[in-house]
Amino acid sequence: MEPDRPDDLTPAVTTRAEDGAARAPRTVVVSAPADPGGTPPHEGAAASEPDPAAALGPAAVEFEHVTKIYPNGVTALRDVSFRIAPEEFVFIVGPTATGKSTLMKMIYREESPTSGRVLVNGRDITRLPARQVAFLRRRVGVVFQDFKLLPRKTARENVAFALEVTGAPSRDLARRVAEVLEVVGLAARADALPGQMSAGEQQRVSIARALVHRPPLLLADEPTGNLDPDTSWEIVQLLSQINLRATTVVVTTHDKMIVDILRRRVIALDTGAVVRDQRRGLYGGR
Amino acid sequence: MSSIQPSRGARYFLSEGLQAFRRNGLMSLAAVTVTIVTLVALGAALVVAGALDYIAHRLESQVQTVVYLKDGLADTAVAAVRARLESLPGVTAVAYVSKGEALDRLRRSIGGGVQFRDLLARNPLPASFVVDADRPDRLEVIAAAAQRLPGVEMASYGGGAVGHLFALTRVVRLFGAAVGGALALVALVIIASTIRLTVFARRTEIEVMRLVGATAWFIRWPFVIEGAVTGACGAVGAFVAVAGLYALVVQSARSSLPFLPLPGPEQVALGLLWKLLVWGVVIGVVGSLLAVRRHLRV
Repeated sequence: MEPDRPDDLTPAVTTRAEDGAARAPRTVVVSAPADPGGTPPHEGAAASEPDPAAALGPAAVEFEHVTKIYPNGVTALRDVSFRIAPEEFVFIVGPTATGKSTLMKMIYREESPTSGRVLVNGRDITRLPARQVAFLRRRVGVVFQDFKLLPRKTARENVAFALEVTGAPSRDLARRVAEVLEVVGLAARADALPGQMSAGEQQRVSIARALVHRPPLLLADEPTGNLDPDTSWEIVQLLSQINLRATTVVVTTHDKMIVDILRRRVIALDTGAVVRDQRRGLYGGR
Repeated sequence: MSSIQPSRGARYFLSEGLQAFRRNGLMSLAAVTVTIVTLVALGAALVVAGALDYIAHRLESQVQTVVYLKDGLADTAVAAVRARLESLPGVTAVAYVSKGEALDRLRRSIGGGVQFRDLLARNPLPASFVVDADRPDRLEVIAAAAQRLPGVEMASYGGGAVGHLFALTRVVRLFGAAVGGALALVALVIIASTIRLTVFARRTEIEVMRLVGATAWFIRWPFVIEGAVTGACGAVGAFVAVAGLYALVVQSARSSLPFLPLPGPEQVALGLLWKLLVWGVVIGVVGSLLAVRRHLRV
């Protein structure tokens, strides 16, 4: 059997989620974990948005000239390169069918690039042996537009499922599930079935499930695609809060309002190519 | 995965696998039935080949050859044949069986009911010498030498029959393997289709398991168990059919063909049970792996 958490997949920031709540929001986002040069944290830049270039350690996610051509001949991504620093919050925007989902799938190795490299926490996951993929996925939480909840399990059971099927020890399982339901604000709805919950609540459950392994990286693929504007806003705020707890968050969306209000980094795709990469960006550019 | 508790994992796999087997109802029944048919063919071939093999070996281990004498031989000529036989290399004993004794023996081996003396005016059986050898492989030479002696009608030993029996055993084995193999393919496909129903019913669950980082084997286990249970049920069914049938055959053979050496039903059942179980489980597990293969590709 493989070790539960291979060291090379475990990022330097693993334990930060624990004390994240105690930190003042927005002041520590730019710290450079595992900085090989021993550079002190960029206190001067603390009040500003994270600067991808400032992170000297391994990037949380890095694409190097990634091209994806599906077997049916469709080119989903063309020479895509970018770098996401640990604890960044990034929007991937663009019209539908423009490669956003493909890009996300590459980060959790559901797809592999036709050419180029994808690095997660400094490790080239395109070369990851198939047996290791399961362990990568315990370090990458994923949230979808359609929630992917199991209809016959309660919120609590849906979240616990993620721990059970990865062989997590049962002794602190209940505590970890309760903790993460608290984080997404669903402690009171733990025993509800998905069918008894609103869409927003269901998305919260799926976020809780994605977080229960305490991943340093959270991917949300069109998380608000099925939600009304108010609920969408709540979910995005929740994702922002999670980001403040020292988790890198990558969100694909075509919701202009959310992107424009949040003013976070925006990577815009069009027909598979990066057409804009902007700190504090807007959905449609200037 | 040192942190996993094997007992909890095993319980989970077992309960999931058994649940799926029950939930698939009619399809599971169909899969079990096809497995039974397959394994009955395999099992019957195994039993028949086993019985033939047993008979052949029993014959082979007999270290006697019978030298039949011509009718109306003078006592001195009989004594001369005896002396010549006793001098052959490897011969350990020579016993004379007169025409009368030969008839008595036949009557005893067939069973006392028939009155030969009433049916036959004259005893048709020849007198003979039963020659014991020290090793079975000497029999052929001894029989050939005896054949050439004056006054000898014919010398026979089990050799020819044994050869035929071994050839027959091989044919039965080959035939059984061919029919069993073809049926095993059918069983494999049907078991795989049945388990694919479970895979389909649980595709969301499988998808979630993959996304949250369950290992491929963790996902496979319940299906493997469902397949193994199907195969084992088929094996037990086939075992009951084949072993029961064989017990009946042996029972009737013992009254109508008492001289035929057949392996005992209990002895056959024991060997048959584990062979059928192994085959059933192998077919079931391979079928289940076929069923989940496509859904687990990363």
